[in-house]
Amino acid sequence: MARNKEYGINMDMTPMIDCVFQLMIFFIVTFKLDNDQINEKIELAKSPNGPKIEEKAPGTMIVEVDDRGSLSIGRVVMNEETLFGIVRQAVNRIGNNNVQILLRADRRTKHVYVKRAMDACTRAGVWRIQFAALKKKGG
Amino acid sequence: MARSKGEEPKLDMTPMIDCVFQLLIFFIISLKPEDVIAHLDVNRPQSDARAPQTQKTDLLQIGIYENGFTLNDRVISFGSLEKMMGRLADISKTQTVVIKCALESPHRMLVEVLDLCSKLGLKNLSVMSM
Repeated sequence: MARNKEYGINMDMTPMIDCVFQLMIFFIVTFKLDNDQINEKIELAKSPNGPKIEEKAPGTMIVEVDDRGSLSIGRVVMNEETLFGIVRQAVNRIGNNNVQILLRADRRTKHVYVKRAMDACTRAGVWRIQFAALKKKGG
Repeated sequence: MARSKGEEPKLDMTPMIDCVFQLLIFFIISLKPEDVIAHLDVNRPQSDARAPQTQKTDLLQIGIYENGFTLNDRVISFGSLEKMMGRLADISKTQTVVIKCALESPHRMLVEVLDLCSKLGLKNLSVMSM
């Protein structure tokens, strides 16, 4: 008390700043992780009437086809055989009813490249395929 | 020391508030609202290894070519396709719609057709390539 009277209220900001920095670092790191998995260069076609993706089912795999037709999962470019192998492995692990393929294909890409991705999935035993489309553009 | 004693205890908040506003502005600018993504579900018929598909008459066949659409092998504009599909969807929502896509057609056109089907409530969609 005597100290306070003499110097006025001394508020120590250090713990607050520590805390804020921790929070900031946490959000920056998680934000980056979430973004790294999809290719932002892909322009999805618009579908204002399609059902919204509420929550990703646990067995969802996102396969991407960019405007030049290259296949990728999580930004790793691959050919059809590798894609087939990956889908096959997932099917063997959790069963083909639980594997969900979400195909993010660029609006400009030709159907032949989309077909290649679909064929690889079908060969691995996944018949149901979801196409991702833009329902509403954010901002 | 003398100053602290004489005046009201004061904490200068200005630099902190400046800083917080800077951060706020930075985050507001860098935060892009997320796009809402739709999912359009289709079935893929078994690959060509199986016997050629039998042509059933009650199937609704939509063809997608590089430069236009066909409905049961007749060339049709997207507007008329929408109208026709609307009428057919009124009869039955469970009928199978087979969408045949030409290899050179852009993916955008397939999504347009799938979006139309989703709007009309048609759920049995198959996508084939030709």
